[in-house]
Amino acid sequence: MQNIEQLNSKHGMTTSSRFKKFFTAIIIVILIICATPNLYPNKNLIQVQASANNVLVVSVPELKNNLENEGFKVKKVISHQGGYLVELENRALTAEARAHIAALHNELNVKVISASTMPLWLEYTGLKPIKLGLDLDGGVLFVLKVDVEQAMLSQLQSVADEANSIRINNRYRHLSSPQVVNAQEVEIVATVQGKTELQALSTTLRDRYPHLSSNRKAHGSLTTLTLSFPEAKKIELHKQLMTQALSTLRSRIEELGITEAVTQRQGDNYIRIELPGVQDPDQAKRIIGATAKLSFHALQTAGGQRIKDKLGNVINIDPTAIFGGDEIESATAGRDEYGKPLVELFLSSSGGKKINHFSRQNVGKPMATVFAQYYVSTSGETKKHTEVISVATIQQVLNTRFSITNMQSMERAQELALLLRAGSLDAPITIVKEQTIGPSLGEKNIESGFKALALGLSITLLFMALWYRKLGVIAIISLLVNLVCLIGLMSLLPGVVLTLPGIAGLVLTIGMAVDTNVIIFERVRELRSKGATMVIALKQGYQQAMSSIVDANLTTMITALILLGIGYGPVKGFAITLALGIVTSIFAGVIVSGLLSESLYSQQRQGGK
Amino acid sequence: MKSNMQHIRLIGLILGVVLVFASLVTIAQKGIAFGQDFTGGYVTVIDVPKSVTVDEMQLKLHQLGVDNARIDLQMDGSWRIFQTPSSTNDLKVKEWNSELNSQWHATVLDASYLGAQVGDELIEQGGLAGLFALLSVLLYLACRFEWRLAVSASIALFHDVVITLGLFSATQVEFDLTVLAALLAIIGYSLNDSIVVGDRVRELLFEERYKQAPVAKVIDQAIKDSLSRTLITSLTTLATVLSIWWLAGAGLSSFAMALCCGIAVGTLSSLAISATLPQFMGLSYNNYRKEESEATKKQLAEP
Repeated sequence: MQNIEQLNSKHGMTTSSRFKKFFTAIIIVILIICATPNLYPNKNLIQVQASANNVLVVSVPELKNNLENEGFKVKKVISHQGGYLVELENRALTAEARAHIAALHNELNVKVISASTMPLWLEYTGLKPIKLGLDLDGGVLFVLKVDVEQAMLSQLQSVADEANSIRINNRYRHLSSPQVVNAQEVEIVATVQGKTELQALSTTLRDRYPHLSSNRKAHGSLTTLTLSFPEAKKIELHKQLMTQALSTLRSRIEELGITEAVTQRQGDNYIRIELPGVQDPDQAKRIIGATAKLSFHALQTAGGQRIKDKLGNVINIDPTAIFGGDEIESATAGRDEYGKPLVELFLSSSGGKKINHFSRQNVGKPMATVFAQYYVSTSGETKKHTEVISVATIQQVLNTRFSITNMQSMERAQELALLLRAGSLDAPITIVKEQTIGPSLGEKNIESGFKALALGLSITLLFMALWYRKLGVIAIISLLVNLVCLIGLMSLLPGVVLTLPGIAGLVLTIGMAVDTNVIIFERVRELRSKGATMVIALKQGYQQAMSSIVDANLTTMITALILLGIGYGPVKGFAITLALGIVTSIFAGVIVSGLLSESLYSQQRQGGK
Repeated sequence: MKSNMQHIRLIGLILGVVLVFASLVTIAQKGIAFGQDFTGGYVTVIDVPKSVTVDEMQLKLHQLGVDNARIDLQMDGSWRIFQTPSSTNDLKVKEWNSELNSQWHATVLDASYLGAQVGDELIEQGGLAGLFALLSVLLYLACRFEWRLAVSASIALFHDVVITLGLFSATQVEFDLTVLAALLAIIGYSLNDSIVVGDRVRELLFEERYKQAPVAKVIDQAIKDSLSRTLITSLTTLATVLSIWWLAGAGLSSFAMALCCGIAVGTLSSLAISATLPQFMGLSYNNYRKEESEATKKQLAEP
């Protein structure tokens, strides 16, 4: 009878742990598969293609000769999509070689691309190796200039436009058309008869722009009104524009999916952006460098601002926007029922009120969507390009949600949506420095980082084996499982980037992960010395140690999460590794080693019988 | 035996107090050498083909008009020169770079500039991170522990962080972002050690044979029970940190130094401070009696 009971209970135990074993095994296998792509690091290739409307004239031997003459050793050249892919012996020189080819053949489109080296079956799973940070893999560095002066000028210009609009609407005939002079102030000149008109205009403008200082001067029969920003306001505006630029750029980079990017203010007017792992800066450049601004305007028959649309037709719009880009909370690209690309907008409640109020009074009338962007002209000047992207008739009362239809292409729609989501930029930004950092320094860092990891790991493993003997084997296996799972998890999660401090986090995790095993094994030893059998000692040891283990990991988790929330750049990499390391440590140290010791010792007991 | 252990703990406690005061005095006098991350400024890493001593380099740079610069010879043989934003400007840096190139054939490996305002923002952010970490950890302790143990653990925490900062002040090694990260990791680590010992103390207080024993004896026993765990974990962690220090390159050496110091003093403080102080605050079994009377009844009911 007793035997049967024992058998029953034993049977019950094995089925429950069989279930647990099965799941544990599945998790480990999945994470091992996720970790395998790291055995096949991406390689950098130079992609050579004919640029648009050109035929590829350069031949393979010619290309090879060009490179070898300059000291670049070519590993192989393969034909790919009508162009070539060039692989160098020394991948650190890839960016340099690219510049060399591009300089020799300006009719070619030469890019550095990062190509996977995984076997086909692995490629098929869609898994990727861990992204490496700028310090490990090279990347792109941008320094941007925020043109605060230009932003102030454009604010003055809109004051001038507004003043002009008031002048025309009220038929102030004795006033000159308002002009921005010296990029500092708006100037309006009145004749003797225009004095009262000038007074009226000045009052209206002061109501609308309370922060402007105005100054009136008489010379001869003419009176001049000048409007400008006071010094304190300029400083405040400067600070505001820089803060806005920083936060907008940060969210644009986030939209691009680069989390490890470092965005910092550099000096008074500059912003430094590091994009690790990016080898082809063109897309990033288009998104980061754009100063897109979207605003919605009513149309005017006369006066106002004259803006061209795509086809070159001039449209007169009310210079005061119904609402601007800062009221847009979210934007997504999509297609309408005819398959034409559109951008759907979600406005803030205040923006919703504005458009609701306006559209209620203007059903059946047109509304223009104006897109403004700064660009650097060939002579190096920053210029503003403004375009009406659509004029639509208001069909119904609009609310917080509506669409801009008739976008040129899906790509344009997506980019516009991205830029609108990331927030507006009032000051034009221009890239003043762009540097593609080669991966040679990174390779050195990876090497030294992994040397440290190997040393730390072997010391720990050796110690565990010597100190705990048989139990140590369990610790060693669970540590290795821990390491592989952590690497698998880091490869699996999007947005995790490995940096040199991240490797330090990895090494530290290994050192601290043993703690879980040590706490348990010390309990087991203690119970054994009190005379418990190994199986019971193991079972109770795991139970008693649980509260200490939870505490130990919780305290580290708290600090890791705070680091994650507040730190950025390399510190963030460290925090991510630390936080994920805690998760895998608990999994490996408690669950995996628990199952291991269970099966190891129950088998031994059976064998002993 | 018992008095021995207690003596060691007392000596450790006094040593800890002395070290904290020494650190505070050092920090007050010498300050902390904040790195470029916090102050902004110019960092130039150069490679000089011929071997020169630090003094020679200092003299040469002085001749080139570089004063008040922090000059370090890094482990890989390159020189790292750090200048604060107020002491120089773009033009001057370029000037001495090219001078050094023509005189000593020095090549610039890396040059960077960071605005001072960025540093101010970072100090604010870093301070906020530290404060946040401390507050949440204290909150956690308050929920988790009897107040005497919680206060002692926080004092041990303070001890570890101050001594680590003191070391950075004494050696004038640059305090950068990675050191801040290390400090936060130390907070987690130190607390962890204190909690393991504290848990043992609580556990033993409930045991029949220790109920009437003086609390000092209970603490001694708790330390003895958890000593091997504390030492093993500290040693393995220390070993990994030392391998980072040795092999992982110049970028992580200050990070490893901070962790090394933090783990060493953290281990000491968990024994000498967070376990010893409650004794002076009058910790006893009775503190737990009211709170956990039911648990006690259960324990008493057991044979």
